[in-house]
Amino acid sequence: MRLEIESIDIHDLKPGSKTYAKDRILYVNSKELEEILLKDSRLKSVDIHFVYPGEQVRIVNLLDVVQPRCKIDKVEADFPGFIGKMQIAGSGRTRSLRGITVLVSNPCTNRKYSALLDMSGVVAEMSRYGKMKHISMAPTMADGTEERDFEDAVKIAGLKTGVYLARGGEGHPVDEVEVYELDLPNLNEKSNLPRVAYYYQLYSPQHDHIGISDPCFYGTDVRNLTPTIIHPNEILDGGVVGAHTIRALDTYTIQNHGIIKELYKHHGKDLIFAGVVCGVANMEPVARSRQAMMASNLVKNVLGADGVVLTKIHGGLPHVDLALVAEECEKLGVKTAIFIQPLISYGTLADTLLFNAEAVNLIITVGATMERIRIPLDADRFLGGTADSKIYCPDPIVQHAGDPVIDVEQFLIAGVHDHLGDANIIVKEY
Amino acid sequence: MNGKKLKVVHYLNQFFGQIGGEEKADIGFVVKTGPIGPGLALQRALGEKAEVVTTVICGDNYFSKNPEQAGEEGLKLIEPYQPDLFFAGPAFAAGRYGVACGAICKALGEKLGIPVVTGMYDENPGVEMYRKFAFICKTGNSARDMAESISHMTRLAFKLISGEKEAHLVSRESLPRPVEYGYFSRIILRNEYTDRTAAERSVEKLLAKLRGEPFESEVILPKFEKVEPPAPVKDLRACEIILVSDGGLVPKGNPDGLSGRGNLRWTTYEIDTFLPANFKSSEYEIAHTGYFPVQILEDPNRLVPVDVLRDLVKEGKVGKLHPTFFSTSGNATVSQRCAEMGDEMGAEMKKRGVSAVLLTST
Repeated sequence: MRLEIESIDIHDLKPGSKTYAKDRILYVNSKELEEILLKDSRLKSVDIHFVYPGEQVRIVNLLDVVQPRCKIDKVEADFPGFIGKMQIAGSGRTRSLRGITVLVSNPCTNRKYSALLDMSGVVAEMSRYGKMKHISMAPTMADGTEERDFEDAVKIAGLKTGVYLARGGEGHPVDEVEVYELDLPNLNEKSNLPRVAYYYQLYSPQHDHIGISDPCFYGTDVRNLTPTIIHPNEILDGGVVGAHTIRALDTYTIQNHGIIKELYKHHGKDLIFAGVVCGVANMEPVARSRQAMMASNLVKNVLGADGVVLTKIHGGLPHVDLALVAEECEKLGVKTAIFIQPLISYGTLADTLLFNAEAVNLIITVGATMERIRIPLDADRFLGGTADSKIYCPDPIVQHAGDPVIDVEQFLIAGVHDHLGDANIIVKEY
Repeated sequence: MNGKKLKVVHYLNQFFGQIGGEEKADIGFVVKTGPIGPGLALQRALGEKAEVVTTVICGDNYFSKNPEQAGEEGLKLIEPYQPDLFFAGPAFAAGRYGVACGAICKALGEKLGIPVVTGMYDENPGVEMYRKFAFICKTGNSARDMAESISHMTRLAFKLISGEKEAHLVSRESLPRPVEYGYFSRIILRNEYTDRTAAERSVEKLLAKLRGEPFESEVILPKFEKVEPPAPVKDLRACEIILVSDGGLVPKGNPDGLSGRGNLRWTTYEIDTFLPANFKSSEYEIAHTGYFPVQILEDPNRLVPVDVLRDLVKEGKVGKLHPTFFSTSGNATVSQRCAEMGDEMGAEMKKRGVSAVLLTST
């Protein structure tokens, strides 16, 4: 499979009477975009705004961040299963706009928490998105739409916006072409290099709002997924999208997948990238054990890996699941490097492990996503909600977006932590 | 620091305070003006920026007999001087002195909120007892290391009082790196910026592991002690059973403020009023974000089996149901704090004279 990502660096976003790119400026016709999005009858209206670094604006009720991308050489192939018709993502040419994103808010959300972003102050400094320019979009719900159905519609509207913007880049000179090519069936068998696989914990059902899972994989949900092998390019190119109001993992993060890109970088030099096994976190012990056994078997006996990097999603339950997969891999003789995230900032690093397995001895601290931080208000404008939008705190505190100070866990801030390893963060004892 | 000299109070034991040796270890608190003994070195290290206004001295035996109480006594003496900075010791390897330095730092730090700095050798029992409450610089094991220890303590204290935001911390808190400033970590965790992404670190380290080379895990595996299960209860009819749950069951409004995740507290409720036979579902909530609480909110007896125990008591199969229920929330709480809460609950149960515990989880 060969994927070419053609990147254009966009330095500015401006309103325009049509959507096109010139001299690294993307002009956007919001009216046309709105019309496209409102073809979905689940949306009543959509608020579209331009957002720039340094502005005193707070974007709330975020459920996703999307990098504008579109397929160049295929039709109906963007985010297959979500927008495009079902086909396999990950081959051909993709246009990608760098320096800008789509900020997707659900102002009608009833979830306990959603993410937020400030374009000035502490948050803008912390977040990778604080330095970028954005199209913020926030749809409202059409009468008679079910809450969860609406959430799906909002997510899809975000993806559509990304595709729409990327199409505007047509004809603009390309700044960089990245080639991701991995011929899995014909990997060099004679190489002495170690074969390294990636175990991607895709999903956890623990935050399923009103008990319904989020679609995140070719248009479907994966709550009951048994481990499966996919090509890494499928992940980079729209086969997988974000779920569950970000929590250190949005579509942007998946499109720029840290581990996959890193393994590609090393491929053929000091390792052979042996492929990806996807799995999920489980609510039941039998399912958990099935997941661990099947995943480790795929890693060892199907991909033939000598080593595997394992990444996790969300909080405690997936931590346990992931450790079990790692433990089974080590039992089969596959060396592991496992990502963990301390769930609390009290105690030693060792205290925060939720497993006890001697063989799982290479642990990477991807970031304490639940570290608390107090954020003074540095905004006079609110997008995606209002100054009265609730902001979650694990303590019994009721707080709102317009409060002088909010006390939040860092995973609520879009673009700080990255479960897939592309943030320069480590956790240390202090 | 805006030009004004910082006021410093220094704590010493009877020996370094030049009162006497072991024979004077029982003396109580003595307050002296200006620096004494190691205080002179401290004053030199502080230079023009700060002045040791007072030295507080106490005998090692007097202090270590009841460190918490002595700490409070010291606090009362020191408070009127309104210090900006507080130093104790350094205590090096001296155990009683280390405990005293730790305890007085704890008392002052908690009450006055000023930087409290001491110094100890890593085997000093004061380190484990007080590292959470004080900045304890690492020192050698004897007073030969005095000048260097004092210089480290001073450097750390000035850093702490500067309030400089730390660019290497995601939170930007004013919290110097333990490694850089040579102090024992205070057993908290912080996100630090680093030049390599987690993806880069993981692949690089895994390659070393695959090649059989040394590799550095970012977390060293914990060693858990084995807990022997206690002997079974012989006769339930002679038993008073207490109910404990970590399922986060609390009255509506969560008046005791248990956290839904990473909770560090536990609390008690009187069963008669908390969970009567004619309870109302609407009067409860679950301070625990790690499970679906719907069934328990419908009937809290599903988590805390009061109904069944009441029946068993009536039927004479169980002696007595203890009238108080202990509630906590166990969701991604660190094991160390869980063990502490277990000790606290155990001590309270002993006091109450219960004979068996029924622990229910989710």
